[in-house]
Amino acid sequence: MKNLSPHTHLYRLGALLAAFFVVFLVVKSWATPASWIDDVDNWYRLDSLEEMKLKPLVFGGNESCKECHGKTYGQFTGNTGNEHKGLSCESCHGPVTRHAKGGKKIADAIRESKSTWQCQNCHLEMINKPKDFPQFKRQAKIKEHAEFLAGLFPEGTVCLKCHAAHDPTPDKCVKKEDPECSSVAKAKK
Amino acid sequence: MNKHPMTDGQEEKTGTRREFLRNVLAGTIPATVLMVYGPGVLAHREPSELPRGEGIPKAEHYWIYVININNCIGCGNCVRACKAENEVPDKTFRTWVERYIISGEGVHVESPRGALEGFREINAGVRQRAVKSYTVPKMCNHCHHPPCVKVCPVGATFKSPEGFVLVDWEYCIGCAFCVQACPYGARFINPKEHKADKCTWCYHRVKAGKLPACVTVCPNKARLFGDRWDAEAEVTKVFLEDNWLVLKPHLTTDPTCYYVGLGREVI
Repeated sequence: MKNLSPHTHLYRLGALLAAFFVVFLVVKSWATPASWIDDVDNWYRLDSLEEMKLKPLVFGGNESCKECHGKTYGQFTGNTGNEHKGLSCESCHGPVTRHAKGGKKIADAIRESKSTWQCQNCHLEMINKPKDFPQFKRQAKIKEHAEFLAGLFPEGTVCLKCHAAHDPTPDKCVKKEDPECSSVAKAKK
Repeated sequence: MNKHPMTDGQEEKTGTRREFLRNVLAGTIPATVLMVYGPGVLAHREPSELPRGEGIPKAEHYWIYVININNCIGCGNCVRACKAENEVPDKTFRTWVERYIISGEGVHVESPRGALEGFREINAGVRQRAVKSYTVPKMCNHCHHPPCVKVCPVGATFKSPEGFVLVDWEYCIGCAFCVQACPYGARFINPKEHKADKCTWCYHRVKAGKLPACVTVCPNKARLFGDRWDAEAEVTKVFLEDNWLVLKPHLTTDPTCYYVGLGREVI
């Protein structure tokens, strides 16, 4: 015991700390994933990006509709004056994956788009909407239009009686032969 | 005779002062040099710069998001699409739309169910008093300096090389530090998964060459998404006109969601 250095307790503490440090390094290297990124204030597992890519898509975009509905799509985009031209199909029809699977129809996509709510949601006049956006008033200015709407609004598919959803410009009335419709069209002119 | 205590060791004292000054300089000069040229400074990023560093893949795109208030009609298509695309549970929102009604009485902000079903008409009385009103889509701002990333204790939330702020659910422990840190209220704890949830700019869609779901269904081009490095992109053209703003700029989070036509009430 005599030969012990007076600093033995410090050496022992140092050895213990060194051992802990080695253990820490081993555990750290074992626990850190291979793709770990150690950026400043930004550390993460790079592989998680690859995993996130695998999530299935719900909305397909217009291209996915074109595969089966090429003709409708052509009509929709063909007319340069079509106010709805810039719209995506899924804006009104809902996501493609709820309508088709593996190239086969699994549910109607049209139903959702035929309700008046759908038209109203964008076009009913509201103070928060941009001034240049086409909006209709519940109390229509045109007498015939007002009378016509009064009986049907807000239930049913009243808008689509005169307006074609794919090309809604009122002049291109879908039912020109309909007396109701033509009276409105005349009044507008 | 005893020496006077004040005069004792006079020369030594002078030496101490010189030594002291020398020591001070020896400490401060290297420290200053380190601060100016040190490793911390090399890693420092300017605002508006994407993450870069050892092991980080080089970004091919610099994705940004533009929200044009002048075009937003408050239809809520984006909110519904986000719910469908990302299976966002009830009562939680990755994106939502707020309606501002400004009158002499003050500013009224509302977002009924996050505008999942759009907005109702304002009653006639309020309408008459209102000076102006507009709708503002809100979501994660995918900041350049995201406070949510700084507070994550497990490295689960991060800024990706191309600008997405994402959450690695394998590593997230659901501690909600990030939910508190986000100044935009864009994060929440997913009630089903018990993990931090937020807008991902539809990372899976963008990587598949599509636009985020909200941008896809927006009927009036109020939401734009694109590459800041693409000179022809619509999002880039926004910067040609000095008409954009970001939310809470005083917090220096440096968001990459740019708002066009934003009212001062919102900021």
